[in-house]
Amino acid sequence: MSTKGETATPTDDPALRERFERDVLPLLPSLYGAALRLTRNAADAEDLVQETYLRAFRGFAGFQEGTNLKAWLYRILTNSFINTYRKKQREPQTVEGPDDIDEWYLFDRLGARSVEESAESTVLDQIPDAEVKAALESLPENFRLAVLLADVEGFSYKEIAEIMDVPIGTVMSRLHRGRKGLERALWETAKERGLLDE
Amino acid sequence: MSNCGTNCEETLREIQRFLDGELDIDLTAAINRHIADCHPCGERAEFQRHLKALIAAKCGTESVPPALMERITSMIQSPPA
Repeated sequence: MSTKGETATPTDDPALRERFERDVLPLLPSLYGAALRLTRNAADAEDLVQETYLRAFRGFAGFQEGTNLKAWLYRILTNSFINTYRKKQREPQTVEGPDDIDEWYLFDRLGARSVEESAESTVLDQIPDAEVKAALESLPENFRLAVLLADVEGFSYKEIAEIMDVPIGTVMSRLHRGRKGLERALWETAKERGLLDE
Repeated sequence: MSNCGTNCEETLREIQRFLDGELDIDLTAAINRHIADCHPCGERAEFQRHLKALIAAKCGTESVPPALMERITSMIQSPPA
């Protein structure tokens, strides 16, 4: 990030404040959604988003207009989460993850049950929204974050690498293992809810 | 297998990067051709695409609590020192 305008803040620059309101406020529902998936509770998610907006507001003069605003905000959100809420939540820092999951875990299990075309996708569609969210939230946070940034927010591997401050190879590995973990969680959910009954 | 195409093994190995839009134009086109012709690979690609879309649809934006919106807009008006 550029350090130009270190002394200027949107507080004393009305044009900057206007630009913040115009460009950054509309991203609130998406950042709040991400914060909920990360913290897994509404009170922490609200605090995390507020902290993210405060940091973004204070640093906004240094943000280069025309570069990737959304990635810049997600980087602030990610750093705030790691610095504050991760410590608070005391979740074990799982670096290792599911390694033993088959490449086509969910497809093979769902497909094995039926000869019907697209039966696999039909089962997926029956899983309630809250359970899909719970499956994502069940992942170790590094994997959860990678899947969230790629599949929900649509960031490229390169952008995710910058947001998470890790090499692209690490992004790909976290994404891969996160997705496999998600497939396993969705399979358990489908079984528990009886969606596999004929 | 034609020399301008791709095979099942390569398609399945690259499917996630393909769906993530991370492959170059040539390989993307080759995989598109392969999954159009090869039913088993096409089905698998479609399933993974569906799964990715499901996560995007269910785990994204959330309605912002009015109190949070209020906290943020007033922070912008008068940020804490």
